[in-house]
Amino acid sequence: MQVAQIITDPQVPGSDASAGAAALTALRPALFARYMALDTLRYDYPLVLVEGEEVQKPLIPLSQIVDEALRLVAPLGPDGEELRQQVLRLEQRMRDKVAKGTEEKLSELWRISSAELVAESGQSTFGPLDETLERAWGAITVDGRVIGCSEATPRKVLAHVWQAMHHMRARKFRYKVDRLVLKLNDILKSDHIKSDEAHSPGALAQSMGLDGDKSIDFSALSNILHRVRPEDRLPADRVARIRHVLQVLQTQAFFGPGRATFSYPDKAVCYSYVFQSCTEALDAYRDRLPSVIEFTKALAIAEMEVENKYVPELHDAIFESFDESDLTEEQMAFLPPAVVFLRDGVTESVELARAYEALACGLPIKVMIQVDDILGPTSPEPPRNSFGAGNARLASMAMGINNAFVVQCSSAHMVRMQGDLVAAMQYGGPAMFSIYSGATKTVAGVPAYILAAAATECRMFPNFSYDPSAGNDLASRFDLSANPQLERDWPEHTLLFEDTSGRRQQETVRFTLGDFALADARYHRFCQTVEAGSWSGDMVPFDEQLKASSSATDIKRAFVLGIDRQNQMMRVVVDDKITVAARRCNDAWTQLQELAGINNSHVLAKLAEERRKREALVVELSTESSLTQSPDEAKTEPAPGAPVPKTEAKAVEEESDSAVAEVLDDMPWIETSRCTTCNECRQINDRLFGYNENMQAFIADPDAGTYRQLVDAAEGCQVSIIHPGKPRNPNEPDLEDLMERAKPFL
Amino acid sequence: MTASMSQCLMQMVHTDYQISDYQSAITPRWCTGCGDNAILTAMQRLCRDEQLPPEKTVCVSGIGCASRLPHYMNAYGFHGIHGRALPIAEGIKIRRPDLHVFVTTGDGDCCSIGAAHWLHAVRYNMNMTMLLHDNNVYGLTKKQASPTSPKGLKSNTTPFGATLNPLNPLSVTLGIANVSFVAQVPDWIPELLYDVLSKAYHHKGFSFIRILQRCPNFMNHHFDAAVQDPLRIRMLTHSNGLRLKPELSRIYKNQETHDPLDLHRAQALAVLDEEIPVGVLYSNPDVPCYDELRKGKRPNTPQLVETVLNEEFDKVGIWPEGQQAASNGE
Ligand SMILES: Cc1ncc(C[n+]2csc(CCOP(=O)(O)OP(=O)(O)O)c2C)c(N)n1
Ligand code: SF4
Ligand code: SF4
Ligand SMILES: [Mg+2]
Repeated sequence: MQVAQIITDPQVPGSDASAGAAALTALRPALFARYMALDTLRYDYPLVLVEGEEVQKPLIPLSQIVDEALRLVAPLGPDGEELRQQVLRLEQRMRDKVAKGTEEKLSELWRISSAELVAESGQSTFGPLDETLERAWGAITVDGRVIGCSEATPRKVLAHVWQAMHHMRARKFRYKVDRLVLKLNDILKSDHIKSDEAHSPGALAQSMGLDGDKSIDFSALSNILHRVRPEDRLPADRVARIRHVLQVLQTQAFFGPGRATFSYPDKAVCYSYVFQSCTEALDAYRDRLPSVIEFTKALAIAEMEVENKYVPELHDAIFESFDESDLTEEQMAFLPPAVVFLRDGVTESVELARAYEALACGLPIKVMIQVDDILGPTSPEPPRNSFGAGNARLASMAMGINNAFVVQCSSAHMVRMQGDLVAAMQYGGPAMFSIYSGATKTVAGVPAYILAAAATECRMFPNFSYDPSAGNDLASRFDLSANPQLERDWPEHTLLFEDTSGRRQQETVRFTLGDFALADARYHRFCQTVEAGSWSGDMVPFDEQLKASSSATDIKRAFVLGIDRQNQMMRVVVDDKITVAARRCNDAWTQLQELAGINNSHVLAKLAEERRKREALVVELSTESSLTQSPDEAKTEPAPGAPVPKTEAKAVEEESDSAVAEVLDDMPWIETSRCTTCNECRQINDRLFGYNENMQAFIADPDAGTYRQLVDAAEGCQVSIIHPGKPRNPNEPDLEDLMERAKPFL
Repeated sequence: MTASMSQCLMQMVHTDYQISDYQSAITPRWCTGCGDNAILTAMQRLCRDEQLPPEKTVCVSGIGCASRLPHYMNAYGFHGIHGRALPIAEGIKIRRPDLHVFVTTGDGDCCSIGAAHWLHAVRYNMNMTMLLHDNNVYGLTKKQASPTSPKGLKSNTTPFGATLNPLNPLSVTLGIANVSFVAQVPDWIPELLYDVLSKAYHHKGFSFIRILQRCPNFMNHHFDAAVQDPLRIRMLTHSNGLRLKPELSRIYKNQETHDPLDLHRAQALAVLDEEIPVGVLYSNPDVPCYDELRKGKRPNTPQLVETVLNEEFDKVGIWPEGQQAASNGE
C-alpha cells in the first residue's frame, strides 16, 4: 500500500446531520480507496494450490503463473504484445469466475475461460486466438485448485500445505519401508532355497515354467540338488523375527501404498490425520499408540536385520522394554502428524484450552486456529467461545510453550509466509498456526483480502514465525521480517487526493489501529465524521495523539482520515475507547519488535556490558598465555603431534635400529614388509618361516631349521628378501659351500 | 543429524574381523611364487582394515589363474565365465548397492575375450574395484600369447614370437569416456599394492587397477629388470595419490609429483617407453555413476512392478461401459 488516490467530490459536502449519519455506515479508512475494485488488480489471489509429486512451493498466485508463462512464450516488444494482452484477458476472465465463486482446477478453469473468450471473439476452435491461448497453456507446468480469498481460505490453504507435506512424508516412508521389505524378503528367500520344500520335484517343476516336451526329470534333479544343498539354514528365531517384522511393516496403516495401490486391493484403510477437535486428535493418538510403538520397533529391527547386526542376547531386552517414553522425535516425525482445524467463535473454548495442552505436551500435532474477528466487542462481555480482542495474541501465547513452531499471519500474506507454513508442517514437533481470515462479520462491504491485509498493516495482526529448531536464541528462532516498515510504530503512506477546489494534494499519513477500526460497525459509535468545512485547529492526527503522553492536559480532538461510498474524504474524530485499543495494539507490537531485536535498548545495554567483559577477559588471557609459553616448558612438554619432536624421535629410532642390526648381523632375517606372500619359503619349513598378522613372512624360530633351508629359501625367494645370516650350528654338513651360496644375500 | 536408534543399537555389536576371517577353507592352488598370492593377501588385508563383513563383500571373476581368487576369499564369490566378470558384477551392484564388489580378471580374460565389457564398465563407472592381474600371458591354459604379451614372446600360439605390439591397458582405459580411476602397481611391492587397492576401494566410481603380476611358471624372470632395478619404476606421488614412506622413498628414487586429476599427463605417463609408471594415474570422484543415476525413486517391489505393468496394459485395454481402470490413491 504505497500510494492511495482519493479523488474527492469537487462539491463541498453538505453539513446536515443525516448526511453525516449516512456516511458513518459506509465509512472506510481513506487508504482503502485504491484497492476497492479488487477484481481488476493482480495480487496473491486467485491462488493456485499446486498439486503434484514433489511440490516445493505449494502456493503460487495465478498472476505469477501467467507472468512466468508469458515470459516463456511472449517475446518482448510489439510481437509479443498481442499475445500478452490476450493471455491477460484470459486471466481476467478466470479472476472474474473465481470472484463469483467458481472453484476448479487451473487446467479446467483455463479450458472453460478460453473457450468462452474464443466463442466471444467469433473465431472458431483451433482458430488463431485458441491457438495462442493453447500455446500459453503449454508453458504452464503446474496445476491445482484455484481459490479466492474468503472465510474458507485459511483452512483450504493449510489443509493443502499439510497434504503436500504428507505426500513428501509418504514418499520418504515408502522408500525406506519398501526397501526394508524387499531386503528382508531376500533373506527369507535365500534361506527357503535351502529347504526340502524348495528342492521338491514339484517346486522345481514350478520354478522352471513350461516344460512342454516333459524332457526334464524333476525327481532326478531334486535328488541331485538334495545332495549338494548347503546346510547352513538361518536360526529359527531369526526367521520368526524377520517374519514378524515383515508382517508389521506390510500391514501398517500410517500411509497407503501410493502408486502400488493396484496390488493391495484389500489393504487396510489408512488412518486419517485430519481432525475437527483436539479431543478427537488426542483420542486417536492414544488409540494408535500401540501400533506406533510396534511399527517403530519393527522398523529398527528391520534395519538391523538387513545389516545382519541383530544380536538377540544384546537387543531382545531393549526391544521388549521399549515403550512410548522411548519414542524419539525423529521416530515420531517419520509418521504423519495430526492436523486440527479450529475456529474462533465456533470451536468450544474447552477445545482451545485442549489445543494448548496438546502443544505443550510436544505431541506431533499441527493446530490451526482461524480467527475472524480481532477487535473483539467494544465492552467486556461474557466470552462466547472466543478470546475476543485476545485473538490477536493466540500465537504469542503459543510461543511461550517454547517447543511449538508458531506461525501467525493473515490470509492476505499466506503466500509470502509459505516458507514458514511449510517448515512448521515439516517440523518434527507440534505447531500452531493462527490465521486471520479478514471475514469479520461486523465489517460490511470490505473484501476479506483487504481487511486481512489491513490487519497486518495496522500491527493488530502482524506476520511472524517462531521456529524452535532454528537455533537456541530468539534471534534465530523469531522472525518478524514479513511486516511492512518494521522499525516504525505505524507504517507510513502517501495519500493523494483532490481538495475542494480540484487541486491535487498529497499528505503523509500513518495507518493505525484507529484507521482499521473505522470499517467495523461496532466502533462507529465511537467515531464522529467532520466534513472539510468544519475542520478546526484543535484537531490532531490520531498517531500524533497516541505519541503524546496519556496524561497531557491540553485536550485535542484526534482524527483519522476516512472515506464514504463516493470516496469523499473526511476527518473522523475518534473516541477515547479507540485510543485505548490502539495503545494496547502498539504495546503488543513494541513487544514483538523487542523480541525481534528492534529498538531494544535493553539488548544494547547488555551488549555494551558483554563487550566490556570480553575486553577484560582478553587482557586476562594475554597475561596468562605469556606465562604458559615459558621457554623451558615448550621444550620439555611438546604438544602431541608437533612436527619437530616427532622427527627427532624418528632419528633416535633409526639410530637404535641400525645399532641393533649390527649386533644381529649374524642372525637370519627377512625384509618382512616386502614379502609378497608367495609361500615359497614356508613350503620349505613352516616353523622356521612364519607369517605375521599381515600374512608376510618373518623368521619365526631361527633354530627350527637348518642353514641349508635358509639358503635354499633365500635363493628361491622371488623378491630376494631372505637373508640367511651366519650358520648357527657349526657342525652342519657342507657349510663352506652353503656360506658361499649365501654371500649374495648377506 | 543424530544417530537413529538402529544405528546406536548396531554399534553395540563389536566386530573384529581378522585376516583369517577372509581366508576360505581352500588353500590357494597357484604355483609357488605366483604374484596372485600377493594380490589375494592385499585384498584380505584391506577387508580386515576396513572391517568389511564377509557377507557384504563379493568377488567376481572370469576364467584364468587370476580368476580363481574368489575361491580363496571367504566372502560371496562368483567364478563366472570367460571374459564376463564385469557384466555379472554390474548386475550385482545395481541390485545390491550395499555390497562391496571386487572384480578379478586376467589379461586374457579382460583384454581379449572380455574387452567389450571392459570398455563399457569403465563408461558405466559403477562403484566397484577391478583388479587386472596382468602377467602378459594366458597362464591357466599353459602359455599362449595374450594381448599384453610383449612383441616377440615365444608361446604355444606364437612359436616364432608374438608378431604385434602389445595393447596398453592403461592408455586404453584412460581413453574411455567417463573414466574415473586408473592406477598401476606391481605385485612385488606389497605396501604399494595395498595402498593403491585402498585408494581404489575408497574411490567413488569404477576403479581400475592394472597389477603387473609375476608368473614364475610361464614367464619366469619376465619382470626381473623392474624387480631388480628400482630406477625402472617411476613413482607417481601426490597428496591425492600415493604417498611414499621414507623407506620406500629411499629405494625408489625415480619419482614424479603427479596430480591424479591431470588426465593429459596421465595419458602421457601411461605410454612411457623405458619406465614403468606406478601409482594413481587418474582419479576423479566427480564423474557420474550409472548405478547412482539409475537409482529409482522407489524400490521396485513386486507390488509396484505389478501395478506399473497393469497401468501399461490398461492403456490399451477396452473397458465395458460404465467401468474404468482402478485409480491410484495415496
Ligand atoms: C569361452 C572360453 N574360451 C577359451 C577358454 C580357455 N581359457 C581358459 S583361461 C584362458 C586365458 C586366461 O588368461 P588370463 O585371463 O590372462 O588369466 P591367467 O591364467 O593368465 O591368470 C583361456 C583362453 C575358456 N575357458 N572359455
Ligand atoms: S619366499 Fe619370499 S616372498 Fe615368498 S613368502 Fe617367503 S619371504 Fe615372502
Ligand atoms: S601359471 Fe603363472 S599365473 Fe598361473 S598360477 Fe602359475 S605362476 Fe601363477
Ligand atoms: Mg594372464
